[in-house]
Amino acid sequence: MSANLEELVEDSVLLQCRVNGKACEREIQPGTSLLDFLRDELRLTGTHMGCMTGHCGACTVMLDGQVAKSCITLAATVQRRQITTIEGLKGADGKLSPVQQAFWDEAGFQCAFCAPGMLLAATELLRDNPDPSEDDIRRAIAGNLCRCTGYQSIVRAVKAAARVQRSAG
Amino acid sequence: MSLHPQYARPRSAAQAVALLDGLGAGAMVIAGGQELMPHVNYGRLMPAVYVDIGGLPELRGIAEADGAVAIGALTVHRDVQSSELVRAKLPLLAWAAGQVGGGWQVHNRGTIGGNLVSMHPLYDIVPPLLALGAEVEILSTAGTRRVALSGLIAETSHGLGTTTLLTRVLVRPTSPSTGWSYQKLKITEGSYGSANAAAVVALDGNRVTAARLVMGAVAERPIDASAALKGLLGRPFDARAAAEAEAACAALVVQPMDDQQGDAGWRRAMAGVVARRALAQAVARAGGAAG
Repeated sequence: MSANLEELVEDSVLLQCRVNGKACEREIQPGTSLLDFLRDELRLTGTHMGCMTGHCGACTVMLDGQVAKSCITLAATVQRRQITTIEGLKGADGKLSPVQQAFWDEAGFQCAFCAPGMLLAATELLRDNPDPSEDDIRRAIAGNLCRCTGYQSIVRAVKAAARVQRSAG
Repeated sequence: MSLHPQYARPRSAAQAVALLDGLGAGAMVIAGGQELMPHVNYGRLMPAVYVDIGGLPELRGIAEADGAVAIGALTVHRDVQSSELVRAKLPLLAWAAGQVGGGWQVHNRGTIGGNLVSMHPLYDIVPPLLALGAEVEILSTAGTRRVALSGLIAETSHGLGTTTLLTRVLVRPTSPSTGWSYQKLKITEGSYGSANAAAVVALDGNRVTAARLVMGAVAERPIDASAALKGLLGRPFDARAAAEAEAACAALVVQPMDDQQGDAGWRRAMAGVVARRALAQAVARAGGAAG
């Protein structure tokens, strides 16, 4: 292999990104998942480790405003992206976001292990669709498993958040 | 194999295949990571070098080229669903991309190229692309070759860890007068299918003049049932034709899968059911009476 190709192969990666609005620069091992980067390097433990296969959605974060499963995202592949974790969802004033408040009011979680993923999936839905049908909501949370609620209170909470968001217009 | 993998971010597709060629079998291509990372997390694959092709502009975008719709390998399922061009010219593919399991998270990250090279029997993109007669472009250090997707599936040198790169998927638009359907039998909205079927049907009046049907998620490889459905041609798709099609399709599932999605006998039976439903919906969309 030519020398200039060999130069491309690195033992570590300088990851530069923004996490919850703050610039972040770390030297990471190439095999690090985004989940491990957030939890172990940045100590943002609100992003939960569930199945590690991409089925459960507990590790959901946002990349440039779109939900992604951090356990099956290689950290090195999110260079210069905007990452939002559950810790970044509350407002600058420290208040819960409308989606968080609605989940609180409507008991949208029990054990809450799935909550970070549910909240971020609901946030993406309501950004693009202010008045979702029940089908829309169930499709939007299809990548997130909940083993407590039977999803009813989660769907109710997303509807309530949509109402609040619309009335705040 | 390595506990301390390395990382490379080539600047062009040509550089990527030169790297893969030079690095050998331990190098693995990563884009969205939706297929590779679960294998890494469970120790089934241990890349020595991650070759990150995610930034390569020549693998992006959807455009018309040489009478076909050309879809870059890095196009994510969400963009296939929402592309005006794909929705207008290949509605079957746009719809099927929305049926991919794992929710929006996977739709936002998973690429059409990754979906194809994984050759996972339960995935949703291969059956519709086979029904549409899709071709794929493969790049290696020897150059670009264009092959039928059906031929690629028959090879064993596809997929992760090779020295080639899937660069584009090329699909000829379906005529607006043809009907289409993708049926996915699944337990929950975000889950794998237990039996899938993609159909494309053309009618003359109410008589079927062409029918393509491919079943997925019922055997290790997708099953193209089109040849077995010759009996449908030249007649209306009525209840008798539907029953014959269901039986013919189920009979093609010689070695059904037997996994969490359902046991073997049920999978074979459901293959017939989704095939019948797909044909009926495609006939209805082509302007005929639903079977």
